[in-house]
Formats: sequence, structure tokens, C-alpha cells
Amino acid sequence: MTEPRNPGMSSTAPVHPDATSPAVEMDPVEYTLRKRLPRKLPKRRNDVYVNMKTDFRAQLARCQKLLEGGGHREICVHGLGLAINRAINIALQLQTSSQGALQLAANTSTVELVDDLEPEDPDEAGEPMTRTRNNSAIHIKVFYPDPQ
Amino acid sequence: MSAAKVKMREKKMRNQPASVQYPSSQGSGQEGGDTPSTGATGGDGPSDIHRSTDRQKKHHHRSGWVRGHQRDGGSYDKEMPKYITGGAFAKARAAEVSAMLKAVTKTTGSSHVFGALPKHMRRRAMSHNTKRLPRRLRDVANRLREKSLQAGSKKKKEQAKCKSRKARRRHGNLLLEFNRRQRKNVWLETHIWHAKRFHMVKKWGYCLGDRPTYKCYRPSYRAMSTHCLLQDLSYYCCIELQGEEDKLLASLSQLTSKEAGPTFAAVLCTSGKRQGSVVVYRAGLYPSQPLGPVTFLWRPRTQGSTHRQLWIWAHPTNKQDLLAELQSVCQCTEAIVPPLVPAATTAETGPTPEPETRPEKTPEATRLPGTKRKRNCKDAGEPPAKKILGDGTRSPTCPVTWRSNSTGIVINDLTMEIVRYRLIGPQSHSVLAETFEAATDCDERNKSQTSSLWWPEHCKDESKMNLHRQQADVFHILKDIYSTGELPAGTVLGLAVDDPRLTLPTKKVKALPSVKQTQEVDEAEEEKRRELMLRGVPEHCCQSSLWDQSVRDNVTNNKMSEQELNRMKSEVLVPGSRLSSTPPQGRVPVLLVHQPGKQVGHEMNSWGAGWDLLLPKGWGMAFWVPLVYRGVRIGGLNMSLKHSQNKGIPHFPHDYPDCPAGVCFEEEQEAELLNKFKRRPPAKRTNYIKHGCLAPFRCPWQQLAEEWELIAMQTTTRTDTLTEEETTSRPDDSVAKPQSRFTVLSIDSKHTPRSLQTFNILHMNRKSLRLLSDWCRPTTSKGQRRCRVGQAPPLDSSAARQFLAEHGTSVVWVRLSLPSKGKPELHAAVCVPVAEDLRLLNKKLDGGGPQEPLHKNHFKSRIKRKKKGAKKAATSSDKTDGKESDLPNLTTSTENPKSSSESSADLIFGLWPDPLPSVTSHCSRVTLGWVTQGDFSLSAGCGEALGFVSVAGLLNTLLDQPAEHRGVVLLRNPASLQYRLAKINIEV
Repeated sequence: MTEPRNPGMSSTAPVHPDATSPAVEMDPVEYTLRKRLPRKLPKRRNDVYVNMKTDFRAQLARCQKLLEGGGHREICVHGLGLAINRAINIALQLQTSSQGALQLAANTSTVELVDDLEPEDPDEAGEPMTRTRNNSAIHIKVFYPDPQ
Repeated sequence: MSAAKVKMREKKMRNQPASVQYPSSQGSGQEGGDTPSTGATGGDGPSDIHRSTDRQKKHHHRSGWVRGHQRDGGSYDKEMPKYITGGAFAKARAAEVSAMLKAVTKTTGSSHVFGALPKHMRRRAMSHNTKRLPRRLRDVANRLREKSLQAGSKKKKEQAKCKSRKARRRHGNLLLEFNRRQRKNVWLETHIWHAKRFHMVKKWGYCLGDRPTYKCYRPSYRAMSTHCLLQDLSYYCCIELQGEEDKLLASLSQLTSKEAGPTFAAVLCTSGKRQGSVVVYRAGLYPSQPLGPVTFLWRPRTQGSTHRQLWIWAHPTNKQDLLAELQSVCQCTEAIVPPLVPAATTAETGPTPEPETRPEKTPEATRLPGTKRKRNCKDAGEPPAKKILGDGTRSPTCPVTWRSNSTGIVINDLTMEIVRYRLIGPQSHSVLAETFEAATDCDERNKSQTSSLWWPEHCKDESKMNLHRQQADVFHILKDIYSTGELPAGTVLGLAVDDPRLTLPTKKVKALPSVKQTQEVDEAEEEKRRELMLRGVPEHCCQSSLWDQSVRDNVTNNKMSEQELNRMKSEVLVPGSRLSSTPPQGRVPVLLVHQPGKQVGHEMNSWGAGWDLLLPKGWGMAFWVPLVYRGVRIGGLNMSLKHSQNKGIPHFPHDYPDCPAGVCFEEEQEAELLNKFKRRPPAKRTNYIKHGCLAPFRCPWQQLAEEWELIAMQTTTRTDTLTEEETTSRPDDSVAKPQSRFTVLSIDSKHTPRSLQTFNILHMNRKSLRLLSDWCRPTTSKGQRRCRVGQAPPLDSSAARQFLAEHGTSVVWVRLSLPSKGKPELHAAVCVPVAEDLRLLNKKLDGGGPQEPLHKNHFKSRIKRKKKGAKKAATSSDKTDGKESDLPNLTTSTENPKSSSESSADLIFGLWPDPLPSVTSHCSRVTLGWVTQGDFSLSAGCGEALGFVSVAGLLNTLLDQPAEHRGVVLLRNPASLQYRLAKINIEV
């Protein structure tokens, strides 16, 4: 894939192509850019990873189900890159629909992403490169406050 | 009298003495006079001895007892004999009696003994168990049964009969039987495991599991996308090349082209760090004659030596061609006959050159490689029937090694020498990490003495142990990785592991990743993990002892048997605990090769990534069962097809119609589908003629490419003369116009016989593919950013013409996704939408696309006529032979001028007979190509299809389509009239 992926179409981790580190200056003709998936961490039942591919309402309904039907006191909504907006949106919607019963606690972090650059020169002398770049992520804890 | 009756009568008369005649034979003139009168006495009444005796007899009858119905008894009186000659009379009667006896003893018609039993005494199982018959019939029944057994199946299970089950199941006998049964189709080491659980198919000279007998389509998919799916790929053939690096590369470069992406010489691959894959062509014939895709692996360099080792893994259908091609480019013609009994004979039999004989050419020798090395090495005290490891079906004298005098390259056929398992799924590394433990160091006291085993020797070398420790370190880090897709694609890791049977859990457990939370991980480990993810496995860690023939043989020969292992386990103090020390022969060198997941396209990135596990032969089951006990799913051939389908890559040999193996596969598939089709009664078959489907069982790519080339030529010349406005302002017109031309084309194409294959697939000519891929996309869809507009020339007629000049007759691999409804099937047609269809798309009608009008079956009358003719022939040919009568009939049916070219025997109801009319213009929508894999995609949640379309056709279509609807096509299943709108994607 030669051109930056359409952010709206990426699977789990929408990323901005502009966020590349300035250290690696590459010639787009010589290399093919391949993005690896972001590193995953073990997922609990009450973790919700938000993406841009699934319908917004479906993701919201999923969160609501976890809080109401699922019996969880708290859930974590994670969003990476472009999906940060959506994660915030979901959290706020949850709060308003609960008439203030829910509280939010947001954390931000930086996620390291890996890109592979495959050389395409005809004499095949180029070393393939890997570069890392950083992207922002948000982790919002949505929870019912303790009664006392 | 019908023919059957005549036959019956002849049969009856065969045993009659010459003197006895049945009344019906009127032909014998002598009797003409008197027989009619004796009608009542029927069968054995009259004789032809003497008229006089006859008369006497009648007289005698009259005076004595008279039997039967006699209408006018007086008639006898007239011919009453006056006297009887005793001798002649007795003779005649004797002949009659003997004939009668013969007729009685000989059973005619159905010769079942049960016929002798009244109906109420018959029982169902009598034919199986003769003891259920009354005793008087038993002997006859036994005899009959034996006879039928002999006749039906020539000495079927003759041997098994004489042995008891116990004897047959005895180990040695069982192995003999197994070896006999795999003479034709070789078994993999996991065959028996698979045969108990899978539908087995005989393919490519192997017995392979196709799909499990239990329902697991969806669970298998889930395993691939969330956990792990295991497959036995040992049937893939490995060819080893050894020689100087530059010479190897020089010879191999003839087989590939740099246009199609990285070749054998790619820097990353030659270092041995990564596995590469490449499409191989016949020497110097890129891009016209491809052989098929192969994967290859270089052995990492050893210091100060340019001698390299290369493994090329090819599909078994591909192997023979590849081997021949490799031999020719490397000039390896000298076959080295393997020494027959290496242990017994002198040190080493020199390479005896076998002049010009290519034993590999014979089909059985080709795919039945493998040596009986194991058998040879063991001493003669062993029981004769040994389980054959590798491929025992080939004679041990068959050469597997070829050497070249000029280049010094040695080709080695390692088929069935290395076991290959594939683990697919994000958790495959955790399955591996849980199953294996890096080999433990051997004891101190063992180090001093020499050992015949490889591991103690290996332990003595400090540098090797250092390497082993580093490899073990890398292997430990694997546990900290959550998903297999996080690793660099194609990474290789060499390792020596303990026998995995030692750590076999008592119950099946599901291997899960043990990823620590970031807080717990210390800095150094985290750094190592990052290093692994970024750079992959360091180069020296890719080395493995599996590359050494001697080590492989040593490990195979010294494998501890299951029995011995169980005995050792039973002697452990605490039942169920681990053995205190690993037995010295329990270390195996393995090679782990990472398989990249989905790399093309935007969605489902790195789906289906996994690891390949390479093992020395003989250890297959020892590794298989422990892997199964880690909760993986097992897939067969069916699942590998689905795997590549979800990855969006062509599957070999299904989707390589330009390779010899692909052509062969298509023919087989057509025959199979046709047979299946013919098994249905004609009224219950799909009438493909009426559905407008010309070739439902195959895809005439050749014809398609040629027709489109002609169309493209005509349209380009037309656009030259006309102004540009035509393509833009009058889309209806431009679509409609070519259609008028097609009729002309169709006549043309009928007359040109095509034997030479000229079409080719744009395999990986990346630049062209990328350009085409850019053109396919709608330009104005939101969110689509085209950052490199400057480089990709926008699609216009001149750019298209330039492209077509290069790839006019090519077909291109595309993925079609159906956004709304529809499940594409095999050989569904990809068609060009007309302007109204695109308008339909705007309205977002859920009812789907347009409908194809029902076609008329012009062949119906011809088939009927043929049938009628055949019937007439049957009735008219009473006395003559059936075959002779058929021939003139055929000629009458072929008098029809239209069908003069084809033989009417080819006519099958519902199928278009062979010379196809124009495939592009047959239906109301112009055909672009066909689907070779289509199904409901569980990963996309909608119908998805993979197939080929003609490049010329695609470009023409794209030119005619408005920019916002670029890449919209129609898809129609062969057995349906409904078109579905689909989106075309070319993924690079």
C-alpha cells in the first residue's frame, strides 16, 4: 500500500500519517509502507476498544449493555488516534444518558506504532527499514461512584 | 419374435440332443407336416426319428395313458404307427430323458438358492450367513457365494480372509498393510490421526485431510482470527540447493524477474533472516510461462564461507516442473545414486554418474520421493516390516541428488524429509511457547565421553551452546508478545527443543498469552522485546541444526519410541509428574518460520498471521499431539483455501490458470463438476443455457482475453477519430456502441482456433498493478486522500492506451465485495454495468441489481431429435448389432448444417456445446471476467469474491464510468439471473 491509509478505514488503530518521526526521510518510490497493528494488551471483559469502522450507535449500545446488563461497575473506553474523539463522545453520551450517575476519569497516553518500509529498488540492495512513531491514545474510565 | 426371445430359446436348445426338437422350430422341413397336431404335448413331445415310429408312439400313447388337454383325440388316429422298432425308440427316449435331466439340474435364470425357498421362509441375512439357510441348500449356497465373490472382486482380501483379526492387527502385519496401502498415495506422518477425524482425499500423490467430519467451519474461522489453527503441510515439497552463493543466484535469476517484486536475491532473504516468496517462471520466459509460487529460505552464512544452502518449498503439483527447470538452469544433470546399504558396504560409493536418464520424469518416481534411510541404517536384527518414514514408496536406488560439474551446485530432493506444520492465528506463538521448552543442557558427566547422539556433541561446542542460549532467550521473549502479527513478517528462528511429549498435559488446555502488565516488566526485557519487534530475530539466531543432513538423520533414527517413553513415565515416583531428567535422545532441532498475515488491502491487516514449524522426519506425531493438547483447532485443505480467501491472495493451484498445475486443476475441476451435474436427472438440473451461462464449470480465460483485446483495439481506434466528448457526455451511447460490434467479434472468434496460450496474469508487476489499483477507486469519495496524485497519471484514454499496449492480453486478480446482498459462487460472471444500473446504485434500492432476461435454449430441439433418433435406431436394429446401427443414425443427426462441427454425443441438456460463442457479449451485460473463489466472508460480513478480470475490459469500463462510480461492476452467479452490484478492488 503506497499511500497512507484512509484513517476512517483502518481496523483498530486509526493513525495519522503526519505523525511520523522526522528522523527517517524516505523516498516514496523506493519503499512500500506497511503498517503493523498496534501492540495489544490483554483485554478484560469491561475493556472497550473504540474504532472508526464500527457504527457509533453499536459501540455505544455495547458500553451501555456492559454497564447495565453486564453488571460491571466500571468500564474502560480506549481510543487511539482518530478514534479519540469518538471515545470521548461515547463516554459523554454514557454520562448524559445516565443522568449524572456515572462519572468519568480520563487518562491519556502515547502509543508506539511500528511501520515497515520495504525497499522496492530494482537491484535489491536496500535494507528494509522499520520505524517507530508515536500516536496519542485516551483511556476513559466510566464508573459508578461508590455509595459512601 | 424379439431378439431376447431368440436368445433365450437358443440358450435352451444348447443342451438338447440333436434328435430332439422343440415344436416352435418350424424351420426343419421334415417335420412340417405332423407337428401342428401335437401342440398339446408341448415341449418334449414330438421326435424326428421316423415318421413310422412317431406314429407308433402316438398309437402307444393312445392305447396307454393320455396326458394333457386334447381337444380332438381322434386326430392321433390318423398318424398312428403300425409298429415300433424297440432299439430306435429307446434310443430316442434316452436322449430325451437325458436332455430333460440336464435341463432340470441346470438352473436357468436367477440362480439364487433362495428361489427354492418359499417366500415366508426367506430371511434378510441369508446371503451373508449361509447358516441361516436350511441345511439342504447350504452347500449350494456356499458354492454360489464363493463363485460370486471370485467373480465380483478378484481375490479381494484373499489374504485378510485367512488371517484372524488378531493376526492382522499385530503390529508388524499392520505396518505391512499400511505400507502396502500407501504405495500409490503417500501418507503423511499424521495420517492415522487425520483418517480418524477427517474426510480424506487422494490428491497430488498424497492422502490428505480435506475437512473434519465434525461441524467446525465457524469455529475454525474463529480459531484463525482469535486463537490458533493447526495444519499439516508436510506434503509441500522441499528442494535443497547447495553451492556458491553467486553461482546459485546467477542460475536462479533466470527463473524470476525483478519486475515482479523481490526475487531470490533480496538482501533480507539472502541473509537468512526472512523467508521469501516468489513466483517462478520457466527459464528466461518471464512473463509468459509461469510455474507457480514457491517460498524459499536461505541458510544463514557461516563465517568465511561462500557456500550456501537454500531450501525451496513448492507445491507437489508444481514440483516436477520446478525440479526439471532447476536442473537445467543449474546444469545439474548428474544423478547421484544413493548408496544402497551405506552401513554395510565400503566407506562411500562414489557419485556414479547416471547418463542422461531422468528417472524423476516418471510420475510415480516424481512424487514418491524419500528414502528408506532408516531401514538401511538399522541392523538386520530388526523385524522386516518397519514403519517407513518419509516416503518409502520409491525405490531406494532412485536418485534424489544431482550435481553439476561446471557450477558445483548440488540439488537435493528433500520431499517428505522435513515435516512442516502451520499454525495460523494471533495466538500461535503462545501455543508454541507453551508446547516447547528450549533444550536443556546435558549432564556434565556425559560431556566427557563421546556419544552417537547429536546433542551431547553439540553441547561440547561452546560457541554452539552460546548460540543456543541466545535462541532460547529470543524464544522466551515470544511469550511477552500478545499477537503473532506484531512480529516482522517472515522472521526465522532456529531452536533446539526438548521432546514435547515429556511435558504433555494430562488434559487439553487452551494456551493463552501470558503478557505481563507494563508495570511488572523490567527495563531490559522490555528493551529486548522492542528489539525483537523492530528488527526481528538477529541473524545468527536463524541458524539451526535442522539444516544438517547428518543431524536430521541422527535425530530421526534415535527417536525414543512411545512405548519406552510411557515405561519411563510409569516409573516416576509421583504419577503424572515430569521426568526428572530429559533422556539424552530427547532433543530435536526445529526451525520456526513466521508467516505474514494479510498484507494487501486496507482491512483486516495482518489477519491470519502465524508460524510454520519445521521438524525432522519421524517426529511428526511426537509434536502433533502436544500441539493439539494446547487447544488448537485442526484444519484441512478446505481451511487453507478459506485462509487464503480471507487473506485475499490467490491460492495455488486453484487461482493460477496460467501455470501448468493450474490448468491441470481446472480440467480436473471441470470433469468433477460435470460429473456431478450429470448425476442429476435432466429435469432437475440447472439449465445453464437458459441462464445465459456459457461455461459454468470452467473459465475460458484465453477466449476472454482475446475478445477483449479486439474490443479494446476497436474502441481505441474509434476514440481516436471521435472527439473526447463521446466518452464524457454520452455515457449511454458509448456503452451501447461496443455491443453492436460484439456480434461481429463472435463470428470472428469462432473461426480462429486457439491452441497457443497468450494470456497471462499480471502476477506482481507491482507498478502496473498499483496504477490500476489507483484507477479503480472512485476519485471523489469522502475521506479518500490522494497524496500522490502527481505520480499516478489520471485515468484517461491516452494513459489507458499506453497501459494496454503493455498488458493488453492480461487478466488481473481482483477482489470483489458485495455491499448489499448476494453470495457469490464459483465461476460467477463479473459484468459491466450499463448506465441504468449505476442509477440504481444511486437510489440505493435494496432489491439488488438488474435481472438477466431468460435465454432461449436452441439446443433443446436438437437434443430431442437426437433422442428420438436413438430410439428409432434401437427399434430398427433388431437383428443387427447395436453398434453398427448407431453410426448411420449419428450421421443423420449431423446432417443439420448448424451442428456439423460438433459431434452430437457432446450435447448435454442444459450445457452449451463446445465451440462457445463470444463469451463477452453473450448476456445483456458485457462480461469482464469470472470468480474463482466466492463465499460469504466471515471477516467482512458480506459476500466476497476473488477472481480475474480482463485488463483491457476493466480499463474500458473504467473509462466509461463516471468518476464517482469508478470500480462498480455487476456479479452474477451461474445458476441465477440476478445481477448484484459489487465493488472492485485491486490490492497491491
